[in-house]
Amino acid sequence: MQRHPWIIAAALSIASAPALAAPTVEAIARNCVVCHGPKEAGQVEIPKIANYPARKMVEMLTGFRDGQKEATIMNRISKAFTDEQIQALAAHFAGQ
Amino acid sequence: MPTTRRSLLGTGLAAAATLALPAVARAAGPRVVVVGGGFGGGTAAKYVKKLMPAAEVTLVERDKQFVTCPFSNYVIGGMEKMQTITHGYEKIAKRGVTVVHDEAVGVDPVARKVSLKGGTVLDYDRLVLSPGIDFVWGGLEGYDEAASEIMPHAWKAGPQTLLLRKQLEAMPDGGTVIIVAPANPFRCPPGPYERAGMIAWYLKNNKPKSKILIFDPKETFSKQALFFEAYESLYPGMIQWVGGKQGGKVTKVSPKEMTVEAEFGEEKGDVINVIPPQRAGKIAQVAGVTDEKGWCPIDPRTMESTKVKGIHVVGDACIAGAMPKSGTSANSQARNAAAAIVAMLEGKEPPEPSFANTCYSIVAEGYGFSVTGVYGATPEGIKEIAGGVSKLKAPAKDRDLEAAYAYDWYRGIIYDALG
Repeated sequence: MQRHPWIIAAALSIASAPALAAPTVEAIARNCVVCHGPKEAGQVEIPKIANYPARKMVEMLTGFRDGQKEATIMNRISKAFTDEQIQALAAHFAGQ
Repeated sequence: MPTTRRSLLGTGLAAAATLALPAVARAAGPRVVVVGGGFGGGTAAKYVKKLMPAAEVTLVERDKQFVTCPFSNYVIGGMEKMQTITHGYEKIAKRGVTVVHDEAVGVDPVARKVSLKGGTVLDYDRLVLSPGIDFVWGGLEGYDEAASEIMPHAWKAGPQTLLLRKQLEAMPDGGTVIIVAPANPFRCPPGPYERAGMIAWYLKNNKPKSKILIFDPKETFSKQALFFEAYESLYPGMIQWVGGKQGGKVTKVSPKEMTVEAEFGEEKGDVINVIPPQRAGKIAQVAGVTDEKGWCPIDPRTMESTKVKGIHVVGDACIAGAMPKSGTSANSQARNAAAAIVAMLEGKEPPEPSFANTCYSIVAEGYGFSVTGVYGATPEGIKEIAGGVSKLKAPAKDRDLEAAYAYDWYRGIIYDALG
């Protein structure tokens, strides 16, 4: 029988997010790269996020989430993330 | 819209090369077999190999090419060609995934073997089923496989996509197109309504006296307000939606008479697109992972079947709670399943998953909008953490940008799943 980490993780989640387990930054980041793919994916309009400056990414995602920055879609997506997750994502992509 | 945004050629152009099976002796790595080479299966195979290079990953796919349902509505509307939505398996094979073009016909979950139509038997330590959907022929009276040659479903892309396109091209100006939408759950919840928009786009420019009727058993549907807003501003008077309350539930179709019987009455069409009731692809039933309604219950932390151990189900076939049956959902589920499978093969705790879906609809050139969501696993299934649809009354530049993003999304998912 596998241990179910959501019980532990639920206690760690902050007030703004529902009581869900905390995924690793790698698990979250893998979802980003479908739209924000590597150069090889040949995308034209959507910004690349590999090697994106961490401070700027925190500013962008927090701004989208809190309604201070205009967006078509990232305003909706960024509401899923806590400050800690945004920091971790920014560090993850900056280090690529 | 600049052509560079839209041109998908070169990123996913399919080559027709056939792949020979490498005649290698069995290596020592764990064996992962993936059945179904769509967005779910391609992604699962690619990511297991990426996360665990020692694994022997075999992808079993019936067809030599993957013709995507996403963007097939644009072929029907004449905005794209079949070439755009047709992709080969060469790139994923180059990544070390063994691609076998055959059909999985049997699963022995105790001996952990998959048998193929061609006679091959594959051993597995972990099996991923990503079989997509099958139609419940006869689930709607009068609609069987033969009827689909007269009233195309075009809900699996390929010859059916072209058939519907050709029927629209042959239709006289002033004709009536009927779209029969299915009840929930079904593949691609916004698909029928995007299709109505793309057909209207074609008709407006070519046969402007024509009409589109959507018959629907549902009272609400995905991105409904956005679709209605778009229909009204782009195609005033051309598209009529008849929902469940107005008697829009279709009870019978007659391909001979080209009629549709709905609860409100009978209607004749020049082109009739029937999207029939669906269930998980057949191999899921054969493997014993489906429930009484024909879909596959899973543990959202690992995407492993709750009915049969050792088998993971991703994509349209699985019951994914709040996630819609979309290509992006399948892709996201498969990435999480791959991470769980690799952890389990290494004897480690599977990582906590994070799921996402983004689904764009384009209803005219340069007019797109989206639904998106981020999801997590809970003991009660997959739940949405945040998400939503594009704003109503958004400026034209946003609709244009979202249409361009749709093309980038397509490039990205093709790369992530098969590139």
